[in-house]
Amino acid sequence: MAAVNALQPTDRLRRSFVYRILQANGAVFEEINGGAVAMRFGASTESEVAKARRLGLADLSPLPRTGFKGVGTVDWLTAQGLTIGPDSNRAYRQSGGELAARLAPTEVLLLDSLSGDGALIERLNGAWGWSTETPRKPIGYPMPRADSHCWFAVTGEQAPAMFAKICGVDLRPNKFPEGAIAQTSVARINGIVIRQATALPSYYLLADSASAEYLWHGVMDAMLEFDGGPVGLAAVRELSSGV
Amino acid sequence: MNGTGVNGAGMNGAGRLPAPAGRLIDRNRTVQFNFEGRSYEGFAGDTIASALAANDVWLLSRSFKYRRPRGVLTMAGQDANTLVQIGPEPNVLADRRSIGNGISVLGQNYDGSLENDRGRWVESFGRFMPVGFYYKAFYKPKSAWKFWERVIRNKAGLGKVDVDAHHGYFDKQYLFADVAVIGGGPAGLSAALQAAEAGAEVILVDDTPELGGSLNYARFDGSGEMARTVGGELRAAVALTPNIRVLSAATCTGWFSDNWLPVIAGDRLYKMRAKAVVMATGSIEQPMVFRNNDLPGVMLGSAAQRLISFYGVKPGRRAVVATANADGYGVALDLIEAGVAVQAVVDLRPSVAPSPLAKAIFNRGIRVVTGHTIAEAMPSAARDRVAGVLVAEITGEGTFAQAAETIECDLVCMSVGYTPAGQLLHHAGTKFFYDRASHMFQPGVVPAHVFPAGSVNGTYNLDTVIAEGRHAGWAAAKDAGLAAGAEPAMSGEKGAAGQTHPWPIFPHPKGKDFVDFDEDLQVKDLINGLADGYDNIELLKRYSTVGMGPSQGRHSAVAAVRITAKETGRDIAGMSVTTQRPPYMPEKFGHLAGRVFEPERHTAMHHRHIEAGAKMMVAGLWYRPAFYGPSENREQAIREEVLSVRENVGLIDVSTLGGLDIRGADAAEFLNRLYTFAYAKQPVGRSRYVLMTEQAGAIIDDGVACRFHDEHFYVTATTGGVDAVYRQMLFWNAQWRLDVDVANVTAAYAGVNIAGPRSREVLQKLCDDVDLSAEAFPYMGVRTGTVAGVPVRLLRVGFVGELGYEIHIPASQGEVVWDALMAAGQPFSIRPFGVEAQRVLRLEKGHIIVGQDTDGLTHPYEADMAWAISRKKPFFVGGRSIEIQAEKGLTRKLVGFTLDDPQAPVPEECHLVIRGGAIVGRVTSAVRSPSVGKVIGLAYVAPDQAEVGQSFDIRIGGGRMIEARVVPIPFYDPENKRQEM
Repeated sequence: MAAVNALQPTDRLRRSFVYRILQANGAVFEEINGGAVAMRFGASTESEVAKARRLGLADLSPLPRTGFKGVGTVDWLTAQGLTIGPDSNRAYRQSGGELAARLAPTEVLLLDSLSGDGALIERLNGAWGWSTETPRKPIGYPMPRADSHCWFAVTGEQAPAMFAKICGVDLRPNKFPEGAIAQTSVARINGIVIRQATALPSYYLLADSASAEYLWHGVMDAMLEFDGGPVGLAAVRELSSGV
Repeated sequence: MNGTGVNGAGMNGAGRLPAPAGRLIDRNRTVQFNFEGRSYEGFAGDTIASALAANDVWLLSRSFKYRRPRGVLTMAGQDANTLVQIGPEPNVLADRRSIGNGISVLGQNYDGSLENDRGRWVESFGRFMPVGFYYKAFYKPKSAWKFWERVIRNKAGLGKVDVDAHHGYFDKQYLFADVAVIGGGPAGLSAALQAAEAGAEVILVDDTPELGGSLNYARFDGSGEMARTVGGELRAAVALTPNIRVLSAATCTGWFSDNWLPVIAGDRLYKMRAKAVVMATGSIEQPMVFRNNDLPGVMLGSAAQRLISFYGVKPGRRAVVATANADGYGVALDLIEAGVAVQAVVDLRPSVAPSPLAKAIFNRGIRVVTGHTIAEAMPSAARDRVAGVLVAEITGEGTFAQAAETIECDLVCMSVGYTPAGQLLHHAGTKFFYDRASHMFQPGVVPAHVFPAGSVNGTYNLDTVIAEGRHAGWAAAKDAGLAAGAEPAMSGEKGAAGQTHPWPIFPHPKGKDFVDFDEDLQVKDLINGLADGYDNIELLKRYSTVGMGPSQGRHSAVAAVRITAKETGRDIAGMSVTTQRPPYMPEKFGHLAGRVFEPERHTAMHHRHIEAGAKMMVAGLWYRPAFYGPSENREQAIREEVLSVRENVGLIDVSTLGGLDIRGADAAEFLNRLYTFAYAKQPVGRSRYVLMTEQAGAIIDDGVACRFHDEHFYVTATTGGVDAVYRQMLFWNAQWRLDVDVANVTAAYAGVNIAGPRSREVLQKLCDDVDLSAEAFPYMGVRTGTVAGVPVRLLRVGFVGELGYEIHIPASQGEVVWDALMAAGQPFSIRPFGVEAQRVLRLEKGHIIVGQDTDGLTHPYEADMAWAISRKKPFFVGGRSIEIQAEKGLTRKLVGFTLDDPQAPVPEECHLVIRGGAIVGRVTSAVRSPSVGKVIGLAYVAPDQAEVGQSFDIRIGGGRMIEARVVPIPFYDPENKRQEM
């Protein structure tokens, strides 16, 4: 049971697309960058990390993210100081821990680090604007990824086996290396799966924000046989620490 | 029955053998279950059939047609004799399904009780039911079928479906392998090990609970040590190999293109994709054909061995073994060691081929009768089990001497040969040919990436089987792209010759010599079918249904080919068995359906609607509030919601509307080409109607284009149409190569429309950075600003015909803005309104809904939307077609109408417009308008009926005709002053 005066998602303007489900599961929320993030689910940190090591599902939707798309996108982002490699369907880690997920030659999805301070995202969103020069230099266009997509993390040894129930891509660590991206169907909706750079299998799953509740329930159902369950950002951070 | 009323199968049960027999059962765990209303005990690991056999219950079910008693035949889940019903689940394989505590099992195909079936009389009339009789009877006179259909449906069997049974939980899972090995016998185990040694990721699929295949029950030498040793070594090696994943008790039911392999285990369907496949599916032992060969107690030799080895069940007390190969002697040895009195080994061959197994039998002094066959099995007094056999000398192919010896027995084992379990190879396109030397069908050319090994490939010698498995594993790994190393040696005698008798079929003058147990087909049935002209095996199959039952010809196909060859005088070497198609084993609909994924899309305000008592409706994947309040108050709720918008202020969730950001130097040109209107000169800060037509000129979507920058349009689309519009945009953008980027941002924006004469007052309380006055922010204007502290896009559009603002909000903040607007509107008695009220409101304004007021052929002139076409631009998609259609003249036109009769009912959508008995149009929308106070609607009418003031007739429900009159639209506020306030 959360404390009476504990932060609730409805205390903030930006709300996770699954905040009611998180509340129903006893989530304890903390504010990060203007949003209420499910930090843990009432269990001890040790047991929640143990669950995350086995199979956990975390909602990272309130954390900052954005995207850019169109001709000139990668050049512009590179000029902004990002390191983006030549391959599409690869996520490139930035110095601050952010991920630049290159979804296509001219499309990049930017995910903040698990700190959620959003500095890089904010800087990029602020830097983009309509140029007045003629002809205008192509720099791509911003994409409202914080609102178009929910952002989940699926963690733990059993994550590949769980994904095999809802996704046709072979996501086992030996076949789907760190930083690999699959834009595919997950539980019959479009999803973006990104393998995190962690010792244990861990994936970011981004999908249609309007389908977030459906997807959460679908993933949870698939997790049941592995004794998986919801975990908070704290456990995800713990798994990612040292990377 | 023991003292507790439970029939026991504990260690002291009469039918149980001591260990090491019973390798699959756990004697420390007893399981209680019911069969035919009686309680029995078995051990964990027992199947229903083995547990019942341990309790000396051999009658499991009855046959499909003649209701003959049936029992164990294969103990391998390969036959239909053991199909039983468990609760609502029909057709459960009793020799495959494990017992569970408390399950209630019933036999199938009987009336009354299994032991005393009231329907047994059917068999007496067997001679009136020759093959194909149902094609020739029951249809004369015509009325007869009505009677017979009920009788036949009542008698038709294979269990009872409980249509009220609850949905089970089934699911699916993908699997990936470099090499899939199907079959866990010696060939499969060897193949898996070899492929794994080459570094391949191997998935080994076996349909039994324990790897080993025939090594687990068959005898390869006199002592039986060879199977134990080899099996143990192979299993241990597999267990120690980390890159072999074993799926036990799993059945691969088919082979599909690119090595896509469905594998069923429990309630899960695995969808496996492998780079290469080793087919080590083994072979299927074949029954003999003789009179009463279906009696319980008559079983395959391998079935008796499985009962002993797997379940520690003594298969009988006194046995006769009929054989034509060395394996039959192995069966006899196993029976002797199990304490069964082997009365005789009846060898069909003129003499016994030397083998260690035969030698062991001779050494034990067991009687061996060569050149003889079982001519007939005799039933017990209760006719539910074999009580003896008549053994007669073979006089020719399928014939025997009349003089016969009677041998009493309660068990008859048949070991007369095999056929390859080649179903999966069939699926992969492999043709099978008849090999005269072995009297068996064997696979011919196999497709790429598929490698057969073991007895499915006609190899029976154990050493050769293992070598062949190794070679197949190596070849598969190499085929999968791995450095497989040196090619393993593959030599040795295949050992197929002498395994299978060429004619184990002994028709009896009195019949009941069953070729196909599933369908109760006797030898004479096939002969009669051939005589009827169905002289090809594929035709005979369809006419007689041989091989069409649940076991799909596994035990009848070869015999049917032999009989066909003989009766038609053809050479069997030129024939093949009938085509095998997936699935190899029965699949449940649950397996195919799997876990049900039904995606739903919820708007950011979804739960607010639920909390407000909305009745939700489905729009594609979206859920939208239809109206607020209980269903029984539907009409009143809609009316009140309409009036609230007209007179006060209402709020509707329009998040489901599509949203597309069109950005780039050519954005206006892009819209010019895609939509009917003109956009090049559209000012920034203004919106304009968009109407999309496809290349044939038909209307496919509409919305508004909001210009937020010279190079940026935010275009809305209909809820159901946005995905198609987005695809159209991507397609044409790729064709035209304009400097444009298209982004579908539908999910990114929640949307609300606050509408009504007081909407500005409400919005003003929450928005201080946009001048909302009519002068500063006029109708069709668009702005960006903040509402309740949230950055939004504001659109002054008028779908409902009142002063109003569409507010497009980042989805994560949609609920906040909804809450803020509802709170701000409280002093004005704001109320939410749903899709139903919106439909009324828009109809009062005469706005069409694409897909409701248009169909797949409607072009803009028909819809009276010529006003939406720009004639000053050179091109738009569909433009040329529209002009051609316009020049050809209209065949119908959409008009607004009212009913003069205030008592007339409201026509429904698709009620027809009739003139002179002919259909000239239809109603597309109609309501009793709360604002106008009469019935209003839109309808297609003949062009010469479309003038304002003309009347036309609508045929409503019951065929009644009502008169409607064409009126100008909008019906409400024709000068559009209210939306422009």
